[in-house]
Amino acid sequence: MLISGLIVGTVLGFVLQRGRFCVTGAFRDLWTTRNSRWFTAFLVIVAVHSVGLFALQALGVITLEAEAFPWLATIVGGFIFGFAIILAGGCATGTYYRAGEGLVGSWFALIMYALFSAIMKTGPLSGFNTSMRGITIDASTIYGSLGISPWVLVAVLVVAVGLAVRHHLSKPKVKIATLPASKSGLAHVLFEKPWGAFGTAAIIGVIATVAWPLSAATGRNDGLGITTPSSKLVSFLVTGDPELVDWGVLLVVGILLGSFIAAKGSGEFRIRVPDATTIIKSIGGGALMGIGAALAGGCTIGNAMVQTAQFSFQGWTALGFMILGTGVAAKLTLMRKRPASTPTSSTSGVSV
Amino acid sequence: MQVKLETDGQVCPFPLIEAKSAIDDLAIGDELVINFDCTQATEAIPRWAAESGYPVTNFAKAGDASWTITVQKQ
Repeated sequence: MLISGLIVGTVLGFVLQRGRFCVTGAFRDLWTTRNSRWFTAFLVIVAVHSVGLFALQALGVITLEAEAFPWLATIVGGFIFGFAIILAGGCATGTYYRAGEGLVGSWFALIMYALFSAIMKTGPLSGFNTSMRGITIDASTIYGSLGISPWVLVAVLVVAVGLAVRHHLSKPKVKIATLPASKSGLAHVLFEKPWGAFGTAAIIGVIATVAWPLSAATGRNDGLGITTPSSKLVSFLVTGDPELVDWGVLLVVGILLGSFIAAKGSGEFRIRVPDATTIIKSIGGGALMGIGAALAGGCTIGNAMVQTAQFSFQGWTALGFMILGTGVAAKLTLMRKRPASTPTSSTSGVSV
Repeated sequence: MQVKLETDGQVCPFPLIEAKSAIDDLAIGDELVINFDCTQATEAIPRWAAESGYPVTNFAKAGDASWTITVQKQ
């Protein structure tokens, strides 16, 4: 049932858009404002997903596969990807759902990301990608190397994330201004009310878990993934081979659709054309995102959310180097001393 | 005094970075009107104002994917 991919994708796109869930922001804030609120929310996804995943494996619903760890490609690719998501103004999923909101800069980033992941996976750079990913060490999962049950690591993760969430929730409550409500009931909750970071994260963790058996039922033994499906989508568009359209391809198309529905329904869709500098950064960032994600074996979803939940070395190494790449890019671009602004005059953009 | 900051066309985190730098130049009691069209800023800017102790005197939707928020420096 391939259609379940489209449904899961649509729900995910909707939740990402309404929850304003930005993994790039989660990583970046660690460096720019030393704020770990969104990063903690991100780890909530990993923890929920990890519990779900090993429960599904224990029940015999899915079988997690183990492969040797391509350490060099993971390190280099993770770093490039982390750097690129700052340039592109969003990671792979972030770019998909912002594209659905009508941000033209994200359209450019998305096209380049999908194109370059295809170039790396099946195109002229596939030889380079394969040889880089061929450099491995014979270790797959952290619990396998330690010779312990995965549940030990699941428990450690759940407790650590639980403490981090408690830390953030126990901060003195501040009264945050909200927009006046114009809808009521379910429409208000779905299309207007601001969603909390941790609740949104828990929902995404559940979606990620549900994705596994649905995807496996179609012969694709994997969870959420963005890079390989994006690459397959490009290959399908240029070859017309319907075999390429699998559960994952429908998933990414669904993300676009879901975020468009969410944005349209809440009056947050508008075609927004950025300035030339932003477009150039989006193009460069998108291309590097495709290269980095292909090398690392996944993006902020495939690696940082799915592989980490399986406690693979690839997942946690990629996550670490993505965060490092984000930090370097943030230092170079965002944290540079900006010229003294003149707030009375329009600093940029078009006046409303 | 009221000062306007137009950030339309900029994606996050730039509207917030601009707002932080703009409010530095204001005197206590002055208001900063921030116009933005980045969806994430509907979460990030009110949160920043609340955590910094700046009252929000106006927060409204100006149109599709277009918002305005007024933050008072304290």
